[in-house]
Amino acid sequence: MAFTALLSSSPTLETAARRLAALLTGGAGGLADPGHGHLRFDAEIRLRPLVRAAMPPAEVWAVDGGQAVVADARCLQLVVARAARVCFRNGACETEDEGDLRAFLLGGGEDRVVAGALGLGIAEDATVDLGLLRDHEEWMVVDRCVAEAAPGAMVLVDGDLEPDWRVPPSWLTGLLDRAAAKGVIVAAVTKRSSLSRGGAPLLGALEIEAGAELGPRALWWAPVARSRAGARVVAARLDADAPFAFRIDLSPGADPEAALSALACLCDDAGFPGYPYPLTVADRLAACPGWLRQDTWYELEELLDRAGVPAEVRERAFADRHDLMERF
Amino acid sequence: MSRGRLFGKNVLEGVFRAAPDEDLFLGELLVAVDEATGRRYLFRIVDVTYGTEHREPGWAERVAGTLLVDDARGEAGTHRLYDQSRRTYRVATCRCLGYLTPDGTDFRRPKSLPTQFSKVVAPEPADFAFLRTRMGDLPVGTLRSGEAEVDFEVGIAGRSLASHVGIFATTGMGKSNLMMVLAGGVLRAAGRYGLLLIDPHGEYRTQLARHPWAGERLRTYAARPLANTSSLRVGLSELTIDDLRTAYDWTRPQEEALYELERKFGGDGLSWLVAFAQIEDLAGLRDVELNGRVAMNTLQVLHRRARRIVELPCIAADAHVSVGAAVLRDLREGRVVLVDVSGLGSTEELLVASFLTRKVLEEWSNAYLEEPEAHERLPVVAIVLEEAQRVLSASKDRDSNVFPRVAREGRKFKVGLCAVTQQPKLLDGELLSQFNTFFILGLADEKDRTILRSSSKQDIAALGPEIQTLMPGECLLANLDAPFAVPAKIHLWADAVRDCPAPPAPRPAVAANVSVMVD
Repeated sequence: MAFTALLSSSPTLETAARRLAALLTGGAGGLADPGHGHLRFDAEIRLRPLVRAAMPPAEVWAVDGGQAVVADARCLQLVVARAARVCFRNGACETEDEGDLRAFLLGGGEDRVVAGALGLGIAEDATVDLGLLRDHEEWMVVDRCVAEAAPGAMVLVDGDLEPDWRVPPSWLTGLLDRAAAKGVIVAAVTKRSSLSRGGAPLLGALEIEAGAELGPRALWWAPVARSRAGARVVAARLDADAPFAFRIDLSPGADPEAALSALACLCDDAGFPGYPYPLTVADRLAACPGWLRQDTWYELEELLDRAGVPAEVRERAFADRHDLMERF
Repeated sequence: MSRGRLFGKNVLEGVFRAAPDEDLFLGELLVAVDEATGRRYLFRIVDVTYGTEHREPGWAERVAGTLLVDDARGEAGTHRLYDQSRRTYRVATCRCLGYLTPDGTDFRRPKSLPTQFSKVVAPEPADFAFLRTRMGDLPVGTLRSGEAEVDFEVGIAGRSLASHVGIFATTGMGKSNLMMVLAGGVLRAAGRYGLLLIDPHGEYRTQLARHPWAGERLRTYAARPLANTSSLRVGLSELTIDDLRTAYDWTRPQEEALYELERKFGGDGLSWLVAFAQIEDLAGLRDVELNGRVAMNTLQVLHRRARRIVELPCIAADAHVSVGAAVLRDLREGRVVLVDVSGLGSTEELLVASFLTRKVLEEWSNAYLEEPEAHERLPVVAIVLEEAQRVLSASKDRDSNVFPRVAREGRKFKVGLCAVTQQPKLLDGELLSQFNTFFILGLADEKDRTILRSSSKQDIAALGPEIQTLMPGECLLANLDAPFAVPAKIHLWADAVRDCPAPPAPRPAVAANVSVMVD
């Protein structure tokens, strides 16, 4: 009897699929953001048609970050991170800055040193990981962009306006205040959102509803929530041929509809309809592809060699033993 | 101006990146400038493809789809491609033809890699200077780079006529024009070379006569009564059974019957055909004279053919009127001999061609063997044969067929073939390998290109697409003189005639000095 009960409650694919089906087709329920717990959701989500503005913002900055593990000894890691930024003026790209590749040593008691050297108000005793470092680089560059942006400009960020939990909320509030004071809009675009309704992905459901309600080629937006820093969180489809809608966080003080209308003007690239093109450029610049990791590793080896670390020590410290076993 | 930057491949091949709007052509010649070594690597484009910096597979298709949908809606321009010049580009795959040494005097086969990311530029005239000594004395056209003509004359050496020339092209690609231009070069060579041109369609007679040197160096024989031509007459006594076997298809019993009849009737050459053709009692001939050794229907076939041959207007029973000797004399003097056989059937045309070719081969080989010094003075002579697959295919009997013999042995006697065909795939591969010079014009059939690839004296393996896309008058010239298959644009005959200077006026005859004869 006990054995039968155990069998019936075992995690089979059938039971998981049944539950998943119930969530996906439930159609109602509370809004949530499992990734972050600080959003204040609107009581009701209402889809609104959006009209593309005649012109994009005269000046648009876009920021994205990249990171890579160069050497991994598990207890010690050498990682690199950088943030790239681009600036479009009157629709043309005028600035491309891939950002400095910054190297950090993590583990083995080094985190404290790293944390102490970071900005953004991050505590000296904060645990440091690659995610935090990338976020740090990104927000530092966003800060620079806001400082350099002309009034009326827009600064695009890859992600949302909720930095890593180790970044004090006050730092972001300060940044957004500075932006608002200059008349600069900070807009963050999340490609893969964790927003949910009744446990099911929110954006997918809104895309289907909007297709039925406003037509398959309609541009639309819908206010969803407000962040702890006061940013307006919306869902929006910014091109008639966009395959997807995105979560977009707009800095406090911005008129969401006007900002989204202007942003839509930069979402007409034939390669990525519906996604702001400047962000794709920043993404390309910031990426840390395999060759860059390799290059950095060679440079590191040279430095270690110069520091008198024997090749055997280097080899044994950073050899991928898992990979080694796969040879046989 | 930079056309691109080299980024990959190996010693024999190169790939370079070019701007998305860089107009690159198959067959275009470009130079990779190796700043580190000072060498200039000559490349030929063999393929051009699209490139994109986007890692995501299917990105380009998706962009095209988006733009296509805009078109379909009548909303072209709704979407654009930001930074197209950076996100997309062209990739040209090239064959490395070799490199020029830093002093620009020597061209060498590729054996090393140019420095990666070398600049790719358009060639300068000096880049082709090394070719100048290799382009011979029979000009045919200008160097071609893709679709552009370069001011550089391309041709072949007249002596290379002895090592056989193949002209390969589908209809309308310019075979006849090339043949005339080549003949024009021989006319202008002032006796250094001879050319026997068998013209089955009568297309060359009026055209070649327009050449400024035609009056001096062109002789035309015609099977029909035509103005300004000599009558083409071939004496039966000069023809052989081998000529018959080359021109006609015979069964084994028919061939044996031919020799039987030759023994029975005797006489020189095929002069017995006259008597045989007049016989009315074939049954009597078979039963009495041939002792029944030849089947009646075989004899009837031979009889019909004999009557036809004897009645041909170009066949003469009288050996004295035969043109054989005159043609040989003209060729010895380095003339272009045009034999207009229009009006004759294909087999009769081959009969005439076989006869004349055999005469030339005999004359030149006899001189080589018997009178080496006289042979030295003989010009190189080439025999032009249209639809050459009729006599150079693998199925043709090689013992009796004079043309394969010329292909194999002619070179040492200074007798070459100039085979013109639309279907090189029908030529015997071993015979084709004897041809040292190929003019390859447009060929659509892959099998034709394949056999040429295996026999060409230069590597044309990667040039399939270029050969496929050649326009009329464009060709690849592959021979042993040039270090690679040279792309050329053949001169238009009318232009060649217009641009050819007239021959120098003959020296005035010196009046006889009578006083020296008088003591």
